[in-house]
Amino acid sequence: MTKSADTHCPYCALQCAMTLTSSQDLAPAPEPGPDPVPAPMAAKPPAARQSAVNSPVPEVPLTVQGRDFPTNRGGLCRKGWTSPTLLNHAGRITEPLLKGGDGVHRPISWEQALDLAASAVRDARARYGADAVGVFGGGGLTNEKAYMLGKFARLALGTSRIDYNGRFCMSSAAAAGMRAFGVDRGLPFPLEALDTASTILMLGSNVAETMPPFVQHLKGTRDAGGLIVVDPRRSATAAFTADGGGIHLQPLPGTDLALLLGISHVVIHEKLVDTAYLQERTSGYSAVARSVNSFWPERVQSLTGVPADLIRETARRLAAGARQGGSYILTGRGAEQHVDGTDTATAAINLSLLLGLPGSARSGYGTLTGQGNGQGGREHGQKADQLPGYRKITDPAARAHVAGVWGVPEELIPGPGLPAVQLLKSLGKPDGVRCLFVHASNIAVASPDASAVIEGLRSLDFLMVCDFFMSETAAEADLILPVLQWAEEEGTLTNLEGRVLRRRRALAPPPGARSELWIMARLAEALDAPSTYSEDPETVFQELRRASAGGLADYSGIDYAMLDRGEAAYWPYPAGSTGTPRLFRDSFAHADGKAVMVPVAPRRRRTPAADPDPAAQAMTLITGRLLEHYQSGAQTRRVTELLASQPEAKLQIHPAAAASLGITEGAFVSVANERGEVVCRAELSNAIRPETVFLPFHFPELESANRLTEAATDPISGMPEFKFNNVWVRPVTVPRSTNVLQTTEAS
Amino acid sequence: MSEQIVIVGFGPVAARLVDELLPAVRSGMVALTVVGDEAEAAYNRVLVADLGVGRTTAEALALSDAAALAADGVDVRLGVRVRRVDRARQQVLLSNGAAAHYDRLVFATGSRPVIPNLTGINPDPTSPVLPAGVTALRDLRDAEALRRAVDGGKRVVVLGGGVLGLETALAAAEEGATVTVVHNGPHPLGRNIDRGGGAVLAASLRRCGVRVAGNARSTGVEHNAPDGGFSALLLDDGSAIDGDLLVISCGVRPRTELAEGCGLSTSAGILVDHKLRAHHEPHIFAIGDCAEVRCPDPDCTRCRSAKGPSGLVGPGWRQAEWLAEYLGRLASAVQEDADLLPELPAEQAGVIVLKARGMNMAVAGDNSAEPWDEDVLAAGAVNGRPRLQIAQWADPEHGRYVKMTTRGGVLEGLVAVGMPRTAAELVGLFERGAELPADRSLLLRLDGPDQLPGSGPASPEGTVCRCAGVSGATIQGAVEDGCATVAEVSKVTRAGTGCGGCHEDIKGLIEKHFQAVSAA
Repeated sequence: MTKSADTHCPYCALQCAMTLTSSQDLAPAPEPGPDPVPAPMAAKPPAARQSAVNSPVPEVPLTVQGRDFPTNRGGLCRKGWTSPTLLNHAGRITEPLLKGGDGVHRPISWEQALDLAASAVRDARARYGADAVGVFGGGGLTNEKAYMLGKFARLALGTSRIDYNGRFCMSSAAAAGMRAFGVDRGLPFPLEALDTASTILMLGSNVAETMPPFVQHLKGTRDAGGLIVVDPRRSATAAFTADGGGIHLQPLPGTDLALLLGISHVVIHEKLVDTAYLQERTSGYSAVARSVNSFWPERVQSLTGVPADLIRETARRLAAGARQGGSYILTGRGAEQHVDGTDTATAAINLSLLLGLPGSARSGYGTLTGQGNGQGGREHGQKADQLPGYRKITDPAARAHVAGVWGVPEELIPGPGLPAVQLLKSLGKPDGVRCLFVHASNIAVASPDASAVIEGLRSLDFLMVCDFFMSETAAEADLILPVLQWAEEEGTLTNLEGRVLRRRRALAPPPGARSELWIMARLAEALDAPSTYSEDPETVFQELRRASAGGLADYSGIDYAMLDRGEAAYWPYPAGSTGTPRLFRDSFAHADGKAVMVPVAPRRRRTPAADPDPAAQAMTLITGRLLEHYQSGAQTRRVTELLASQPEAKLQIHPAAAASLGITEGAFVSVANERGEVVCRAELSNAIRPETVFLPFHFPELESANRLTEAATDPISGMPEFKFNNVWVRPVTVPRSTNVLQTTEAS
Repeated sequence: MSEQIVIVGFGPVAARLVDELLPAVRSGMVALTVVGDEAEAAYNRVLVADLGVGRTTAEALALSDAAALAADGVDVRLGVRVRRVDRARQQVLLSNGAAAHYDRLVFATGSRPVIPNLTGINPDPTSPVLPAGVTALRDLRDAEALRRAVDGGKRVVVLGGGVLGLETALAAAEEGATVTVVHNGPHPLGRNIDRGGGAVLAASLRRCGVRVAGNARSTGVEHNAPDGGFSALLLDDGSAIDGDLLVISCGVRPRTELAEGCGLSTSAGILVDHKLRAHHEPHIFAIGDCAEVRCPDPDCTRCRSAKGPSGLVGPGWRQAEWLAEYLGRLASAVQEDADLLPELPAEQAGVIVLKARGMNMAVAGDNSAEPWDEDVLAAGAVNGRPRLQIAQWADPEHGRYVKMTTRGGVLEGLVAVGMPRTAAELVGLFERGAELPADRSLLLRLDGPDQLPGSGPASPEGTVCRCAGVSGATIQGAVEDGCATVAEVSKVTRAGTGCGGCHEDIKGLIEKHFQAVSAA
């Protein structure tokens, strides 16, 4: 019997709709236990696992088809098309694995695994206190899992030390959105609203590679010549501005903030502000006007390298667009992943407020959420400072409400924990985390100063990782628990528009894999935790609805049945309402209903230290993604087609810079700074500025871009500095293996 | 007890210092008084010409809000001058008779316009009384005078070929005034620009509707207007340039008389050391246009090449930021902590970027050497120091000119006229002290259309569908195997199934195939 399920792509926040068709009859969900205890024979040596890798690739159990939906309109990118190949990938982990004294992971039973995890928690708690247990979550978890993870950490583990990889993605834009609007929903309008816009200003977002089907929504603006892309690289998205599509502004890395202040300066001085809007709907205008006064276009030209006339042109186009089909300002990680990322996003919001965009019928400001559930994942309590419904953990009323839903006394909920970078810095340290659970995150590759993070992981008393592949983080773990992939589970995700979507099961998981919900329920039981931990996604969602009720991200009016009918559910969706496709139409979420404008200014930056090696050149490193890969590459590097297309990290460098260093196309280069070194091949391209180099961050070990990124963080959001790092570049000759993946798996 | 800091002057540099000191004021660590002789709190003087031509509003020029500062606890005194500084008693005496004690005193008195010695203008350099119809375009009232002339479509004569004069002239001309720039020397901007650049600049000014009278030496002004105001600028060759408003733009001079009056050392400006302290006076500092960084140590190498105040606001702002940090440390704790603050790096030669619409120019550094001046280029190339190199490109017909003067690949001077992106890049390279690409022409091409990616015919191996990673060859293969529509190609190859941007290209490949088939 053929079975098909309407679901959404496992990867990014666009959450392209897809239909999965399985030739296999859907097996019932795995029984929660008891597990068959594996015979001693089953403890396979690694050689046996290795042979599995080399065995013929099994038939893909599913076919995937793009499904018509307002966001992707039937389109999928290569990542989505090839996603089913991971379901029965030979490297899939299908049994709990325990690392032995020899460093080799060997299968154990679930019963043993859960016992080990529970006793590790008890040990750490007894020896160092509850905050010695930490949880690191991910923006790929379903709403149900993200919600439960927050509850599990705070009640079952009793720890405040929970944060997640969204801290590396959305935290700056989220903090800026909260500060300005009182609420943070990535796009406060449906994506289709962009279709008819006259002008779109995109800063630091390369959607043509990171979420290709999104590009359909830029067509109208490109046809109108109104797409303005800000990127130090002529990225695939920036290239859309050619042939009359719009303008590409190519600033020096790390100067987006100054550029935005310059555009705002022109808007104010050329009287392009929406005066009535500013008066009725905002506060703080005059302080912002004063603060941008010193950023006149020619000065900003000197700071950013963007010609003054293009700064003026941008301001005028945005203002003209607002009066015509609409103007939108969109930010991405390129603008936000900085130590002043919150201020940069704030500057973009200020600009949009000067022009009267947010809350109007045809214009707006938005941030493009990256991870699959990057939106929902930041709303329901896996952030160090939050409780479900986007509530503040320090707010007594919020605590009382959530404690009520959980049926526990309020004082049982710990206070705020540490944001991701600080949490990871504390690993193994006195008063730090000694026992860490990692879910849906590959922090050994995706964190700033990745070498230091790996050292931290190795200094832990106990590391448990839930994953379905031997990711670089899992490889460090004492205990690996095999979990489900997207096509094997039910749940909900919230896409980049704040629309809640259903993920549906299309086939049965491997017999040894379990849902995180099941794992948390079992561990909570073993730890005699207060409250309840359902392993049924719909039951958890019902609880999430109640926990979120009355919060900023209110899901209380949404249920599975409604989503299954295909209703478009945008939060806030209080019970009895019809949801909120467009936010801010009448007011913003602050008490007085006004948006708050906050003056911001660039902070001074360090200058690079002198380099001992005269053969090296000081350059600025920026990092980002390739179309073929997703995040740390833990999944996409295992898809044959994608890996064949982009098998390794390449340093993008301008031919002029390469020539002065004697670097030729495909030659090996060293990219180094005080934190570490990357060695990879060079790719010459005049799409990048001559003083800047680009590395994708999908690759591990010697090609891991995050060996070079700095763990300095934004004082407000805790966002690390991913997009502006001083490096020294020089040519090298190294004998090396070219297939990093194989090296990793063999190790 | 909180430390009492008094700032004399309330211009843009003082405003930055006040802003940076605000946290210390709010915390009670610092008690701050700022004294400004204008009625308004600090505003952006750089944009006074824009205000004068109606391109911005006085409100938008504000850099500080006196009421907000007062609410934060800053003692703001507007419309008051400091009459005298009593260093012995550490107090300032104000024009309104009041006195204020200081623990630290900061001079941010800025500069005043240079008024040339012309018949018909009061020659007193410290308090010139300009006759009706003559303005130096320094403050809001001057802007108002220009505004009336521009709105009335009047004739404006700008005396001086400096960057501020040119900006005023261009803006006024574009807004409808008839403008003549009168300057001495063969071209505007004097020694800041070279001969080629100056010539292209003058031609560009004329193209923008500004009349340029070069090699002119003015001797006096005529007051024959009906209201007794300005009517003409008289030149030494006996000619006269008629006009309704004379804008004097002959540079600025640091305001040092108050400092001199209390016995501080001055040269062009108030002399300060590398910590911005007045010589031999630990309680007094000076920043911005009025300050000249030149330490008392005669052997200091940094000071040997030091120039006077730049007249640019950027260095002043950096001084203000640094001094705020330093004063904060002095106020909070021990001297040692303050001593640990690294000194402010020496300023590079100033960069001049013309603020104008429709015309682009940037100059910096020394541009006097010409490509064929063998002696000049080789001079100074001793002890392994590389010689000067000049790369130059001139297209006067199209108003474009670039000159890069480098030593060891690093810019020592630059001129860029009519080349916006090149100018922006060169200024950045100059300020960072970064090495230029060996092929200097790369920098010229930034303003060329070939920088944009072409949409030319793709090679068959090239990717047609980026989203799904499908090459032209794969699509051709699918078409040869019988796919006749985009939908069919998509089904077989996945091409066109992402963003859909390549549908036209797929269609083209299908059509090409069937044309070839029908031709065969």
